[in-house]
Amino acid sequence: MPLPADTDASTPKYLRDKYAIVGVGETVYTRGSGRTTRAMGSEAVRNAMADAGLKPGDVDGMLSYQGVDSTFGPMIAGDCAMRLNFYMDVFGGGSSTEALIGIAIGVMEAGLCKCVAIFRSMNGFSQVRIGGTGARSAAPVSGDMLHTRAYGWQSAGQSFAPTFMRYMHDYGTTPEQVAMVKVIHSEHASNNPKAYYKKRMTVDDVVNSRMICKPLHLLDCCVETDNATCIIVTRAEHAKDLRHTPALIRGVVGRCNKPRMDMHYQAGPISRVAGWYAKDILWPNSGVGPEDIDVTGAYDAFTFTTMLQLEDYGFCGRGEGGDYVSSGIMRLGNKRPNNTSGGHLCEGYTHGMNMVIENVRQLRHDIDDSCPIGPDGKRQHTYDYKEGGCRQVKNVEVTANLGWAMPGTGSAMVMRRG
Amino acid sequence: MTNDSYDKPMPEPTPDSAPYWAGLQQHKLLLQKCAGCGRIRHYPRPMCDACYSTDVTWVEAAGRGKVHSWTITHHAFVPGFRDELPYVLATVDLEEGVRMNAQLRGADPVSLRIGLPVRVDYERAREGLTLPILRAEG
Repeated sequence: MPLPADTDASTPKYLRDKYAIVGVGETVYTRGSGRTTRAMGSEAVRNAMADAGLKPGDVDGMLSYQGVDSTFGPMIAGDCAMRLNFYMDVFGGGSSTEALIGIAIGVMEAGLCKCVAIFRSMNGFSQVRIGGTGARSAAPVSGDMLHTRAYGWQSAGQSFAPTFMRYMHDYGTTPEQVAMVKVIHSEHASNNPKAYYKKRMTVDDVVNSRMICKPLHLLDCCVETDNATCIIVTRAEHAKDLRHTPALIRGVVGRCNKPRMDMHYQAGPISRVAGWYAKDILWPNSGVGPEDIDVTGAYDAFTFTTMLQLEDYGFCGRGEGGDYVSSGIMRLGNKRPNNTSGGHLCEGYTHGMNMVIENVRQLRHDIDDSCPIGPDGKRQHTYDYKEGGCRQVKNVEVTANLGWAMPGTGSAMVMRRG
Repeated sequence: MTNDSYDKPMPEPTPDSAPYWAGLQQHKLLLQKCAGCGRIRHYPRPMCDACYSTDVTWVEAAGRGKVHSWTITHHAFVPGFRDELPYVLATVDLEEGVRMNAQLRGADPVSLRIGLPVRVDYERAREGLTLPILRAEG
């Protein structure tokens, strides 16, 4: 049966700004939490509820993601005294954050629930290391791993490295250019009291650190940590009763893929990443383009992932990623800072959650740096980005998060200040 | 752990991949060829993504290709590979038009490059398991 003429089946633009992130929370970034993922997850959800000003009865939906390394939603919800009208725990790691925000919008739009807490809790250093060492290396070889793990090809770094190597070959990008991602993120982390690594690094520090899997040096790789994080999404109209300026969700892309995402290297240019496809959903749905973005959160599982994504989402031209990331444009105080928390390379590894949390705080103009707190209880930001100083970007209005699972899969989200 | 102390990840052949592993035992690199449309695919999987046929024949690859990209592993992600560090992993464009992964052996790291011609060789890993390896051609 044909749809009525006034119904536009491709309605995402009508959802622009209809939903918002109203609460964020996390636990301390540590290596060796000594706690269960249930304890950390409950604390992160509790912190996000307190941040938003929500009571247990206000949250009736829950989403989480994990790789058989965490606690399921019903335990966390029970500990937080919630009675849920909807929950789902999905399998996955990086790129799940934005995808689950999209799912949250969908289930609320469908009337299943009214307010969704999304959490990720992981002992990513002390228990299951995503880098592939420890328990993961002992798993049996099956499925598509038949053609990687039997040859000693297992960790994320190893499986992404051929993409990075081919990119450098095709475009003449140097390790020194890419190292600037770590340098800049480490500068940002030095202004983030929560960051696991707060020390500022140089290009020499990066390229002289030990080789893990060429072209990845140790300092090209993110810091696996133990932590839990939570993001609370609800209708924007509910935000007026809550504590903070909402971060309005303009548009979302969830787990967008290259062809043959089971083994991405089999199809197309190996150096192309999922953002090449995701950009054609993100920008039209959001009604903005790269030039409108004040702050980016390009997922930094590795220095290279930040560069490849910024390029494929159109922040620079083809092959210009090395120039973009080494130009200083991503530095606090410059045109378009990236990962102002220090990201996965420095703050801690959360499978993407902390980069969204950081941009929510940027959009509130209330980033949690070391600036003094004024009589109104808000930080008096100095915009002096010296070591140990301010981290708030001036007048942030629009942010973009570019989430990465692997070269073949990515998610993204644009938010604006409410 | 078996009596020959093989402590690397052990492939478990499936109905789709068993002929591939059996071929390696005979020093043959076998690729799936769709019985419906003739397209060659790799790694082994149940259905042709061009014509959706699930019928396959197996063809022997020439065993020649060129390095599409590569990486050198310096860190023991898997304990069983510790003694081989550093080792080269290569993604290779085979003459048959598909890409395969394997370790590249015996190449001088300085000579490693994208486009390097390679041939497939075979290495007995343990009783009942032969793995393909790559060697620089010429």
